[in-house]
Amino acid sequence: MPEFLRYLIASCYLGLAMAASAQSVPTQVVIVSSDTSSAYEEASKALVDALETAGLRRSAVALLSTEGLARQTNARQLGSARIFVGLGVRATQSLLSAGLTAPVLAALIPRRSFEQLLQSSRRKTSGQLCAIYLDQPLRRQLALVRLALPQAQQIGVLLGPDSVAKLPELRMQAQGGALLVRHAEVASEQALFPALREVLDGSDVFLALADPQVFNSASIQNILLSSFKARVPMVAFSPAYVRAGASLALYSSPVQVGRQVALIVMDALQTGHLPEQPVEADDFLVDVNLSVTRALGLTLDGADLRQALRRLEHLP
Amino acid sequence: MKALDIRARMFLAALLPLALISTLLAFWALFARFDDVQSAYEQRNRLVSRQIAMASEYALFSGNQTQLQGLAASALHEADVRWVGISDRQGRILASAGSSLDAPQLPADTVQTQGFLPHRRLDWVSQPVLASDIALDEVFDGAVVQAARSLGQVVVVFSHQSVDDQKLNLALGGGVIGALSLLFGTLLAIGLSRGVLLPVARISSLVQQIGQGDFDQVHAQRARISPTDPLHDLQVSIHAMSDQLWANRDELKAQVALATQELRDKKEEAEKANLAKSRFLAAASHDLRQPTHALGLFVSRLAQLEHSAQTHALIGNVQASVQALQNLLDGLLDVSRLEAGAVQVNKRPFALTTLFDQLAPDLSDAARDKGLALRIRPTGAWVLSDATLVYRILLNLVNNAIRYTERGGVLVAVRQQRARGLLQIQVWDTGVGIAPEHQQAVFNEFFQVANAARDRTKGLGLGLSIVQRTADLLGHPVALTSCLGAGTRVSLSLPGAERPTGPAALSAVEESMLADLQGVTALVVEDDALALAALQSVLQGWGMRAVGASDTRQALQQVARGVRPDVIISDYRLPGDTDGIDTIAQLRGALKADVPACLMSGDTDVTLIALAQDAKLSLLHKPVRPAKLRSLLRRLLVK
Repeated sequence: MPEFLRYLIASCYLGLAMAASAQSVPTQVVIVSSDTSSAYEEASKALVDALETAGLRRSAVALLSTEGLARQTNARQLGSARIFVGLGVRATQSLLSAGLTAPVLAALIPRRSFEQLLQSSRRKTSGQLCAIYLDQPLRRQLALVRLALPQAQQIGVLLGPDSVAKLPELRMQAQGGALLVRHAEVASEQALFPALREVLDGSDVFLALADPQVFNSASIQNILLSSFKARVPMVAFSPAYVRAGASLALYSSPVQVGRQVALIVMDALQTGHLPEQPVEADDFLVDVNLSVTRALGLTLDGADLRQALRRLEHLP
Repeated sequence: MKALDIRARMFLAALLPLALISTLLAFWALFARFDDVQSAYEQRNRLVSRQIAMASEYALFSGNQTQLQGLAASALHEADVRWVGISDRQGRILASAGSSLDAPQLPADTVQTQGFLPHRRLDWVSQPVLASDIALDEVFDGAVVQAARSLGQVVVVFSHQSVDDQKLNLALGGGVIGALSLLFGTLLAIGLSRGVLLPVARISSLVQQIGQGDFDQVHAQRARISPTDPLHDLQVSIHAMSDQLWANRDELKAQVALATQELRDKKEEAEKANLAKSRFLAAASHDLRQPTHALGLFVSRLAQLEHSAQTHALIGNVQASVQALQNLLDGLLDVSRLEAGAVQVNKRPFALTTLFDQLAPDLSDAARDKGLALRIRPTGAWVLSDATLVYRILLNLVNNAIRYTERGGVLVAVRQQRARGLLQIQVWDTGVGIAPEHQQAVFNEFFQVANAARDRTKGLGLGLSIVQRTADLLGHPVALTSCLGAGTRVSLSLPGAERPTGPAALSAVEESMLADLQGVTALVVEDDALALAALQSVLQGWGMRAVGASDTRQALQQVARGVRPDVIISDYRLPGDTDGIDTIAQLRGALKADVPACLMSGDTDVTLIALAQDAKLSLLHKPVRPAKLRSLLRRLLVK
């Protein structure tokens, strides 16, 4: 669907909601979406549906784009809002700069991005400002590695400027799981292949940690190719990597995120505040590239792995 | 530019469009093919470069120089590839294949570029090697820094040679096809132009034949007109036109013939009328002559007799009147003879003095009667002309001068123009003169200045007309100079002649020795009784014995009676079968002697003059003046 059409539909939807709220109940929840792409749409839809299921009137929910938010900051309708939800980095950034009194919940946002926003806006996470990280916890990722590749002993990671801070935690988590971390830092683009070679040599599995300096649309093809040539399965953090040739990916879908946001929102509406600390995604999916895994001599099933992980985390 | 003939024009008209179209088509096709070849070549170059770039992506990423070298070496096997170079993003050449001479120095670029090395005549394509772009999840893009995708650069150098060869082959093929089509076009043009020219040539010759009036040939060609001839209709029309012309020509011919016939008839009619007039004139003058002749002789005889002074004066008047009448008749006779072309020119050298000597006795009486001095200046000059005719001119001129002069005199003189070998006989008078406006008209017949009443004593007005006609006949120019009231000068120019060495004609000495007529016997044969009596009377007046005879028979009888004449005078026209010439011959036979004889006649017939000349007889025209007759008789008797 063209983007402007989506925007049009969203605006109409919002307009109708505002009109309804003007007549009936005041707006309680304002959802600001960074984009109209499918991930954000799916997430906001899942959120709205879940809120409705939870008993919130549809008219009490307002959907805005970042531009819509900028226009309506001083409007009275927003004054009645009890909670703001930002979907994505841009939406969160807009909400933080809007000077709102109501609590702000950020979702679909990578951990590193949220931390940078906090730094730039000189704020801290609190009952008024909280986030659900897009990134999966390292614990869960390492658990997946152990489940999928039980014989793996060494795990290789490439660290860029954004991800280098995770190394201590990674080492700690890996130690618990009897895994050795083989890492290399990528200082520049030129150094990518030597670093990659260093990491891949001797690693049994290659774990990709989100860092745009290392993993981006231009580099991913060659990284995947190198990993495949080295016959090292790659565990990535988004379904696109699986489609491009990674063996496994662990991630939370927008719908899962939306549902989790709805729960927190309902809770906040009742308690009047958000969780004090950022929240990890409580639901996730495991994708498997069957062609690649088969070529590497592996037999894996995404659904089974997900269930196994959930059991490990004692999730329903 | 020299004008082209129709054949060349037709040829060009047929050939040029074809040549133009075939040339344009050939060029168009050739250039289209050139473009195809060139674009295929360039496309292939780009494709080869892109393929090498794609193939070398991972090798560049991984810095695998061995693989890159292998790629470069294998790329060299592609058609036209002369050099392959693969460099990293810093521009360091990691692998290359081919002659390094062909390697261009190129800066790194993020888009495909291509160019030409003029000094080596080589094309190059520079293709950046870019990492493959894979779409990732947008939720992570918020913080994505767009990484540089360039991994390096592939430069491939291609040789233009095969394309040039291909183009050359195409051009050669196109040229051959073009030449063949032009040749075909030329043949076609020749055929076409012949197809049009031959009928045009046929029509041209047809029109030429019509122009020459060769209608039979034109008619013969009609059967040969082919219905397939491109100019068939035109030919048919021209034949129709030719038929019309033919018909018109025949009609015109008939009309001309008719008109000619009419003209001839008219001419004959006019000639007949003229002849009738001449006959009438001749008859009238002949019939007038006889009585006038007799009258003159009678009056002459009468004057010889004794009379009283009063009677004598009367006779003198009668004589003058008769003289005038005779002059008129002479004039008419001359004019009719000149008109009839009966006057024959007999040019020979003679002394002018013989004419002058004759002039004085003939005209001095008339001059004296008017109290004028007639002076004739003697001359020793000889001229080449007809003496008789010149004398007639002189007679008329002097007569005229006397007639129109009241006081003073008339002078006849000869002037020599040695330079031109001409002589001028000039007749001067101190008369009334002729006004300039009449000076040309006086030469016309019957024109007389200031004689509207036609006073016949002033003559008929034939004098100068006779002069003019006679002078024209002789080819002697006549000039007239006159001043009104002061006199007139008429000049006759005639060629001079050397005096002949032989015996001269009648000389003045001989003239003085003329015989006396006293006692001479003349036999006169004349059928007109009146004329016979008159002549006899005149002869007797001169102391002669005149024996008359009305016809040949009587004359012969007179001879038989013993008459021995000294001279015979016979009329030409006599009763019976005989004429004067016969009679004279018979009389001479009877007399057995060549008796001098002369003929008289009232006829103006030309043949008569010739006959008289043949018979060596002098011919006197009636009315015969007594003085003339006397002069002739004296001359005959001397002989």
